[in-house]
Amino acid sequence: MKFAYFHLMPYTESPEHTQDWPVPNKRFDPRTGEKLYNAYLDNMVYAEECGFDWVGCNEHHMSPFGMMSNPNLIGASLIQRTTRIKIAMVGNLIPLLNPLRVAEEYAMLDVLSGGRLVAGMFRGIPHEYVAYNMAPSESYGRLIEATQLIIKAWTEPEPFGWEGEYYQYRAVSIWPRPIQQPHPRIIMSGSSPRSAEIAGRFGAMFGIAQLKTFDDARNLIDIYRESAKAHGFDPKPEDVLVSLTLSLAEDADEAKETLTNGRRFFAEVLGGGLRTAQKLVLQKTRYYGDEMKGKFVDARKSAQISVDDLLDQGTILCGTPKMVVDQLKHVHAAMGHGVTNINMKVGNIPDETIYKGMDLFKDQVLPHVRDL
Amino acid sequence: MRYSYTHHMPYTDIDRAGQDWPVPNKQFDPQKGVKMFKAYIKDKIYAEQAGFDWIGCNEHHMSPYGLMPNPNLVGAVLAHQTTKAGILQSGNILPIANPIRVAEEYAMIDVLSGGRLIAGFMRGIPHEYIAYNEPPSESYSRMNEAVELIKKCWTETEPFGWEGEHYQFRAVSIWPKPVQQPLPPILMSAASEQSAKLAAKHRAIAGLLALSDMDDGRRSMERYRTFAREYGWEPGPLDFTVGLNCCIAPTKDEAIKILKSGQEYFFGVLGGGIRTAQKLVVQKTRYYQDQKTAKEQAKKFVNMRMGGLSFEEKMECGLMICGTPDMAIEQIHTVHKELGNARIGLSIKIGNVLDEHVTRTLDYLRDEVFPATRHLGEEEAQAAQ
Amino acid sequence: MTFQEKEAKLSAGAVKYFVGGDGPPVLYLHSGGGVRLASKPINDWAESFKIFMPVTPGFDGTPFLDGVDSMQGLADLAGEFIDTVIGGPCDVIGYSFGGWTAAWLAVLHGGKIGQMVLEGPAGFRPDGAVGLASDPAEFVKQMYAHPEKIPEDGKPEETVAHNRKAMGHYHDASPMDKALVARLGEIETLTLILHGTEDGAIPEESPRLLKSLIPRSFLVYVYDAAHVMEIDQPERVSLLVRDFLTRAEGFLVNWGDEAAGLDAAAATA
Repeated sequence: MKFAYFHLMPYTESPEHTQDWPVPNKRFDPRTGEKLYNAYLDNMVYAEECGFDWVGCNEHHMSPFGMMSNPNLIGASLIQRTTRIKIAMVGNLIPLLNPLRVAEEYAMLDVLSGGRLVAGMFRGIPHEYVAYNMAPSESYGRLIEATQLIIKAWTEPEPFGWEGEYYQYRAVSIWPRPIQQPHPRIIMSGSSPRSAEIAGRFGAMFGIAQLKTFDDARNLIDIYRESAKAHGFDPKPEDVLVSLTLSLAEDADEAKETLTNGRRFFAEVLGGGLRTAQKLVLQKTRYYGDEMKGKFVDARKSAQISVDDLLDQGTILCGTPKMVVDQLKHVHAAMGHGVTNINMKVGNIPDETIYKGMDLFKDQVLPHVRDL
Repeated sequence: MRYSYTHHMPYTDIDRAGQDWPVPNKQFDPQKGVKMFKAYIKDKIYAEQAGFDWIGCNEHHMSPYGLMPNPNLVGAVLAHQTTKAGILQSGNILPIANPIRVAEEYAMIDVLSGGRLIAGFMRGIPHEYIAYNEPPSESYSRMNEAVELIKKCWTETEPFGWEGEHYQFRAVSIWPKPVQQPLPPILMSAASEQSAKLAAKHRAIAGLLALSDMDDGRRSMERYRTFAREYGWEPGPLDFTVGLNCCIAPTKDEAIKILKSGQEYFFGVLGGGIRTAQKLVVQKTRYYQDQKTAKEQAKKFVNMRMGGLSFEEKMECGLMICGTPDMAIEQIHTVHKELGNARIGLSIKIGNVLDEHVTRTLDYLRDEVFPATRHLGEEEAQAAQ
Repeated sequence: MTFQEKEAKLSAGAVKYFVGGDGPPVLYLHSGGGVRLASKPINDWAESFKIFMPVTPGFDGTPFLDGVDSMQGLADLAGEFIDTVIGGPCDVIGYSFGGWTAAWLAVLHGGKIGQMVLEGPAGFRPDGAVGLASDPAEFVKQMYAHPEKIPEDGKPEETVAHNRKAMGHYHDASPMDKALVARLGEIETLTLILHGTEDGAIPEESPRLLKSLIPRSFLVYVYDAAHVMEIDQPERVSLLVRDFLTRAEGFLVNWGDEAAGLDAAAATA
């Protein structure tokens, strides 16, 4: 089992509840932002020492939810301070961007890191389409065409042009080009069958970003596998990633309390504006096909589900090291995945608590789950 | 005198002069790229220790000319790993970018560096428009609108929308926003009349690159002052930065030999494909809005002869810093005396000049040249502030 | 689009108004320049909405009405106009001076309006901000980013001068309506505030203040437009307002190829 250490880089110093979209940035204090960036970068660098295999960043706009409007800037900094760990961009929000630019930036990261990039091609959560004024109904079409174009930009040895539905270029040959051959490993994520099908089609790794229920996730993974096989790729366990929230302490109640508080802050403060924008997008556009509409709305209620409920479902990691080892084994038995993506910075959980948890993970969890 | 360090991060392991556009990237060996990136980033960080006030990064696409299609990735690294130097992004090419994205990334760099960003707003050199398939004829109007929009992203305290000619957004409030208030310093090119006018409107530091001679420099600066007065301000010595190539060595002959061979590589190898693309853009589109400017710029860009001059002519007219440390000191005095500027941008990695020679020049600058020239223009600069 | 001229009998007296177009009703409150029937955005909107444009008493050659001599008085008059002429709640567009009236209308009679658009609203000029120039050339610069677009069919100089003077009937010289500012937080109406990036008549602090105080509001800058944005950038203003009135908060979202279908659905609803 490989482990990824994921961090949103949230802005945690403005505790007011909000429903506004976009979240007014008068609530952002740049000097505090500077401190947070430095603290978070140090923390993510520490993940390498703790034995994590990947460190992950992702893109969010116009809210305190995450301060990486371009996560590649943070990725570039992490590369300089690490030597072994893979740099997982999970991801760039492909339909919002110029695909050539993504191909170029990912190639820079791959070369800067000597081939340590994991290239996320993500569709993004709905509110980002409001931020960049892109049509949510075009998100799948753009994701598919852009991913193809990016792969072409990485692999085509001769200069080429591209005449597409969404993208047109007449003369492409990117400098630098990536070091990994034939191209950097791609990861795609999805909470819908269509996303799973697309990930399979590209022979990408498949990430379950939100583990709602084992049945739901297994269903998606099956769709992914079928699609991959149909396109000549046979996914191994290490091609499937499952994301889990982790709260770890010597004392089980302490771990639970920490996580409960962090989740509350996440839902009420960091996620408030996002929900407003998501409602707008989901109510009226075809962002998800019709089959997903009801499901996503239900998922938004998940913020209200208690840690105990999640523990009962087995879809969260929370407790003492011994408990977490068992929980991880349980998830692995159910999912058969090869990469676990760990998110410890939930809401405003203090960094010192997180460091303690990371140390416990390194010393008392990792040795028992490496060989899963 | 304040100094900025310009480094394009060129790919220097090609020896054939191709004329194709784009330059086929099968000539790029990623393993060698890894080494170059490592060396270049180390070098840029070292420039801070050598006493440079600003360290610069800039954007180029699809050629070995420069390996920073998004210079903000390198800017973020520098922001994180240096402590006092200004991070000069010179720049992002606004007309081919999403202005909101530029505002966001620049704000990230400003916050990461604790307020050390110098925000370069550039129109780019013509071939970049082919790379991103944007119409060169729209470059000025996109530039105008993008600058306004980015400044609005940084200064507007309330969420806002933007209904423009080229850009439409309904709900903007960027996170993070910059540390520097009300705005990070802005640097723009003042190379053509149109650019100078726009730069003056935004009270930018005027970048003067590829000057033909001192007269060209004086004329450009006077033109900039005239425009600035129309917008109600008076540029001081710190509002001009003059770009110069630089090589310092124990003997004059060695310095000339190194720089000359570096420039030949630059023009002959790195500039080949770009020249082809530039010809297309400059001759076939309305990238420049009038014929006169087009012709002038075509001479400078298409020939890629640093203002249309030979190496010797350039030395002669004083727009090159090349020779022993003492000569460099004298040359900088001359530039300052002729132009009255208090900022110089030095390009030292010219073409395939060896990294060890670059480091040696940096050491000479730190030990001899900077101490002997720091005072130049400082008094006038203080008075003008 | 042809607008019919009509007269409403209101309690304070007769009010002249123009009406035209088809669709849900929209009340348009004109600027200090008076009613301008040739405005491209107004004609565009009339394709999807029924536009009612009352002439403020004292403007465009009409008499003042006894007892109507304040901004609140104008808002009361507009409220009565909605009840009497339109016959029920409607959306409101207020431009400059009319935006000021509209804001009072939203405070005093919020129940009578659905959504509100404030185009470069007057009445919120901070202390010390530059006022309207008396020099005609300077005045044109404040008002227009593109004076070459000023239409030939302008009103006689005399009417324009008279209209400008008529504003003084309703408010004193104070550039900031503090009584209104104090009550902006009460507005429950979904509000769109437009401001031209080159507006020389209204300082940027004004729309920002409104945005920060009106709870459910959006601020949009219209690029390369000065105060008379309907003439400087008619397409941008027309599109924005139509999107907002049709889709409410949903105007934030880029609907791509779904836009046409949504608009059709909204029209039949």
